[in-house]
Amino acid sequence: MLNPKFLKFFLSVATLPLLILLGVGEVNAGTSFKKDVAPFFEAYCVKCHGPDKSKGKISLHTLDGDLAAGRELERWEDILEMLESGEMPPEDEAQPNEAERMIIADWINRGLHDYVKKASKVAVATTTRRLTNFEYQNTMRDLLGFELELTKDLPIDPDKPYHFNNTAQMMMIGPDQLVRYKEAARKAMASAIVDLGKPKIHRFSSKWEHGKSGKGGLSQAEIGVYQGPGVGRKTVGLKSWPQTGEFRIRVKASGNFPPGFKEVPLRLVMGTSLRHDSGAGIYQEVGTVHLRNTSDNPEEFEFRGRIENIPVQPASKHRNKILPPSITITAQNIFDNGELNDHRKSGFDASWSVQAPRVILESLEFEAPVAEVWPPEHHTRILFESPLRNTKTGEYAYEVIKRFMTRAFRRPVAKDEVDHFYRIYKIYDAEFDTLEQAMRETLAMVLISPQFLYHAVIDDAAATKQYVLASRLSYFLWGSMPDKELFDLAASGKLNDPAVIETQTRRLLADKRAVGFVENFTSQWLSIAKMKTVNINRDLFPRFLYTVHLGERRGQEQLFRPTIRDYMHEETVGFVGELIRNNASVMNIVDSSFAYLNEPLAVHYGVGGVEGLKLRAVPIKPGHRLGGLLTQGSVLVGNSTGSAPHPIYRAVWLREAILGDKVKPPPAEVPALSDSVGDSADEAVSIKNLLALHRNKESCYDCHVRLDPWGIPFERYSAIGKYQPLVPKDKVRVRGFNHKADKTFADYQAYLKSIYTEEVDATSRVPHGPAVDGMMKLKKYLLKERKDEIAENVIRRLMTYSIGRELTYRDRFEVKKLLKLAEEDGYKLQDMIVSVCQSSIFTGTKSKEE
Amino acid sequence: MKQKSWHINRREFIRGGGAVLALPLLQGMSWGKAAAGKALPKRMVVSYIAYGVYEPKTKDGSHHDWNWWPCKDAGPLTFNQSATPFAPLKNSVSYLRGLDHAGGLGMGGHSSGDVFATGANMSGTEKTNNISVDQLAAKVNGHQTRYASLVLGTEGGTGAYGSAKTLSHYGPGRPIPSMHRPQEIFNRLFNPYAGKGIEQVRADLKREASVLDLMMEDSRRLQSRLGKEDQQKMEEYLDSIRALEKRVERTSQWTHQPLPNVDTKGLNLEVSHKDPEEYTRCMYDLLYLAFQTDSTRFATLMLESEQSSGSEMWNYANYVLGYKGATHDIAHKRPTESGKWDNWRAKQHAYFLERLRNTPEGDSNMLDQTAVVWGSAHPHASHSTKNYPIQVAGGNALGFKHGNLHSFEGEKKVPLANLFVSMLNAVDTPTKKFADSTGEMTEIRP
Repeated sequence: MLNPKFLKFFLSVATLPLLILLGVGEVNAGTSFKKDVAPFFEAYCVKCHGPDKSKGKISLHTLDGDLAAGRELERWEDILEMLESGEMPPEDEAQPNEAERMIIADWINRGLHDYVKKASKVAVATTTRRLTNFEYQNTMRDLLGFELELTKDLPIDPDKPYHFNNTAQMMMIGPDQLVRYKEAARKAMASAIVDLGKPKIHRFSSKWEHGKSGKGGLSQAEIGVYQGPGVGRKTVGLKSWPQTGEFRIRVKASGNFPPGFKEVPLRLVMGTSLRHDSGAGIYQEVGTVHLRNTSDNPEEFEFRGRIENIPVQPASKHRNKILPPSITITAQNIFDNGELNDHRKSGFDASWSVQAPRVILESLEFEAPVAEVWPPEHHTRILFESPLRNTKTGEYAYEVIKRFMTRAFRRPVAKDEVDHFYRIYKIYDAEFDTLEQAMRETLAMVLISPQFLYHAVIDDAAATKQYVLASRLSYFLWGSMPDKELFDLAASGKLNDPAVIETQTRRLLADKRAVGFVENFTSQWLSIAKMKTVNINRDLFPRFLYTVHLGERRGQEQLFRPTIRDYMHEETVGFVGELIRNNASVMNIVDSSFAYLNEPLAVHYGVGGVEGLKLRAVPIKPGHRLGGLLTQGSVLVGNSTGSAPHPIYRAVWLREAILGDKVKPPPAEVPALSDSVGDSADEAVSIKNLLALHRNKESCYDCHVRLDPWGIPFERYSAIGKYQPLVPKDKVRVRGFNHKADKTFADYQAYLKSIYTEEVDATSRVPHGPAVDGMMKLKKYLLKERKDEIAENVIRRLMTYSIGRELTYRDRFEVKKLLKLAEEDGYKLQDMIVSVCQSSIFTGTKSKEE
Repeated sequence: MKQKSWHINRREFIRGGGAVLALPLLQGMSWGKAAAGKALPKRMVVSYIAYGVYEPKTKDGSHHDWNWWPCKDAGPLTFNQSATPFAPLKNSVSYLRGLDHAGGLGMGGHSSGDVFATGANMSGTEKTNNISVDQLAAKVNGHQTRYASLVLGTEGGTGAYGSAKTLSHYGPGRPIPSMHRPQEIFNRLFNPYAGKGIEQVRADLKREASVLDLMMEDSRRLQSRLGKEDQQKMEEYLDSIRALEKRVERTSQWTHQPLPNVDTKGLNLEVSHKDPEEYTRCMYDLLYLAFQTDSTRFATLMLESEQSSGSEMWNYANYVLGYKGATHDIAHKRPTESGKWDNWRAKQHAYFLERLRNTPEGDSNMLDQTAVVWGSAHPHASHSTKNYPIQVAGGNALGFKHGNLHSFEGEKKVPLANLFVSMLNAVDTPTKKFADSTGEMTEIRP
């Protein structure tokens, strides 16, 4: 059956239609639906996709073959993709020869192309969509000039695995959401516009003496890594603070380093008091410094933030005493060498607080609001200095509104639009005593207007288009509004020049605001968020999560500190960011010569020589069995059960996220994996056998025969994302880790040895491909045979994300063009993003070839 | 506006907190015998428990004492240990076995809770969720009370796709954030003017109406400048503004009706998740008070949401039973903990039903005027999305007949949405079809 040569030949054939498209030659012009296509379907497809059976709810016998009529073109594109990828017909059915296949694929391709060419004027899908919460937050930040947490009370965007949450169709607004927008807008304006007159400054400070000895072998000023049932800390309680404004915290700090340690991280968080015993508490991170200086050389560090973002502990009653509202500043030692759970009886304990580096915190000063100039810049940005303010208040107000609207709407505003909000201002003006009050209300209404909340293309005028393009670029690469440079380019009409787009794309990507894009795009593209909620089996993996070893939360994960899973998330996002920054080949997502690690991650994966918590690119060797995305913890943990690898999840992930296939969810009638093989939950049946049993069910077979083989080669990577070639024996229920019996690190290793005894079988034959044994071979195969699919997938993902809608058959030819460009360019990722921004789909212009 | 007699009744002192509440006091302010000829309110509640229920089988074929289902066979109800709390309510409850939403089938066990009150086909034809049963009723009859509906949860907000924290949806893609802080709920219900004088409130509302009017005008103009597809998209924004305008109008009208005077004594509005029983009862009490004062007639209460690992709900089973593990895990364990957990949940729900029943209304009681659904969107440990555990209570005066376990298994299979159609019709919301319904559920509402 298997014929790699055939496949290779076929793949090269599949690129032929593209050549035709580019005018290289005409073939098979005489193909017709009746004579060729219908008989082909009859011979190879209709048995399963016809009147008798319609597997996957697809049937072909009803297609009428008139592509020019523009009906059911999505279905035709699906068929074309099946033929091109060779996925259909399935391997155990009669196969057409290459020539037959090529004729049909070519006929469909040309039909689609002709229709798209002819119908390109017909309106395309909805493009008007509201800002996502991510975009809303960033836009407010850039509009106001400071970071205010505003999306906490907004409904969450509709997230769907392997989909982006900015898809126009799904972005809806209801009355309740509008109410929340209004509350957020009023909150924003209350902070942005201050009352005149110097504010009262709130100050508070604390000191600790390093010379005096404190508890547990530490000095009074020292913070160890561990304290009671949680992370080591010092706290300062605030009794008074302003309603709004920027705060500043200055600390004098240094580190105390036992031999072998050079760095200790000091993190400040603010919020309610953090109860490690009960797990209660909410906080906002203020910042982290990595201390390398010692106590003979203490340094001063400054942190800033907005007081509005800090959770407040509400007033409460305690034994007939009323406790007023409070805010707690917590200084933490979040040192982590990846081994804090090792060599310990259970969880990590107090001895670490002297063995690990300590933070020396000698003083902490809080001040708010910080008022170097008053009113602050974010106030005068809106209510600018002008003599008009007192002489012609109406004119001044009009100008204030106009300037604000221009920025909020991301384009020049029409007179009637400004007039309109001026009328709203007049309503408030009649009611309120000061201009500030009336303006807060008025501008809040600007912020709930559809012009602000929606991405909308209002008309086809060339002048408007420039601004639309400016917003498209900035929302794609920053998730925020355009900056001055983009506005100016739009105003001068230069933005649609491909060379300008290229310069701007690279400039935007180099800006720190692009960090948000990489994070938002990557985590949705790869669907890695679920990794954080997988319930890790702490009996089997007692040292993966840092657990509390005493008190009521004993045995549960330690709270209020960054965890290995947070770092895994950063690893994946940082890895993709690194590829973009270095304009590296997108094929690095399959395999790479570097990993993106910090010390805890490096220890987890078994890579030596990485120190500190800051993540960075680290060169790796084949022996590390890392490289690319496939072996990253975020992927492996997220697609495991928490106890064992889950080859189906991993297969779905590989096909969706990397190969760009759409994997249908199991149909409702199909029993779950364990149900279909009997009561197996209590016995460990090797996953391969479990799948084999599952496949024996006819209802499961059709899909799983094409799915499972992709997940099996991941089997040597455990549920916590470590290389682990051994597994428990079939039909044996393994015992859990017992911290009383398995006390030391050596005991732990012996425990592992006792349960993981059998070589795991990680060999499978990929559909229409060769047998693949394990991850290394899988990567090799992907890089050899699947490059085009991988690159096309990344292009499609970037494109979909950038324009906020799903791609259709109409976009097919532009995508193929970009693929060709990428191929010639060595699949460089930053260049790929540039070409997406230059494409006709993104700019909304017509492609030259059409 | 002339006050109706029942409004005067509402002004009577009402106290919250079940235990504190004395019956004689209640009678003073209940709906008199069909007070002044006015029809009694018809109400609906949908409440949700997560992670399914315990459905063990015994070896000898008898009914397991800890099975969530009170008895084994269809027919008159008997109550096993798990369902004991409902025994005193025998003639007010029915159990319906074999029901589910086709729309939730493909969503996976922990996500089908999204569509419990909507039946939307989110894994298939519909990209987003759709209007929920309470909101449909509120659309038709919500104008009769100060608030069209009350949307409660225990975690608050809307949640994300597949892990909803609300049961209510205004329409496609427009979830209604649930409220979960008792103090906030109380204030919104009974102290909506936040201490402002009534004249000031009216002036504020008048101003808000004028501003919304202008917003509407501006948005319409914008809409007219958009392409055709995008005009439709903008329609949902305009629709939202319109809804807000209506709300303002309605709030203004209600400023002419006195607010019910509800005392917080006996209600611990500062209760935290640390005390699940007190918290849950507080939520039920607030719901009860909202009905009692006729502040609203349609409510949803997401008692638990799926995938609550980010909240204290995750520890509920720990606080309640001392169970060492996440609340979710309890669903996957065999022993009696699961049954005890179900029993605890049953106690809380029975507490609410009994409060309603113990409050006279017209010739009978509040429970008879209120149709209450209670259930989950998956049955047991395996995360299947078929055969939900469903209990219906109350509404005897709205045509419901109780006291039996009905089986809709096998050939008798009908969509769960049929129950919703019957409930909608029972609360004067004439409905032929809801989601995938095929008719009414005549078994419990002939």
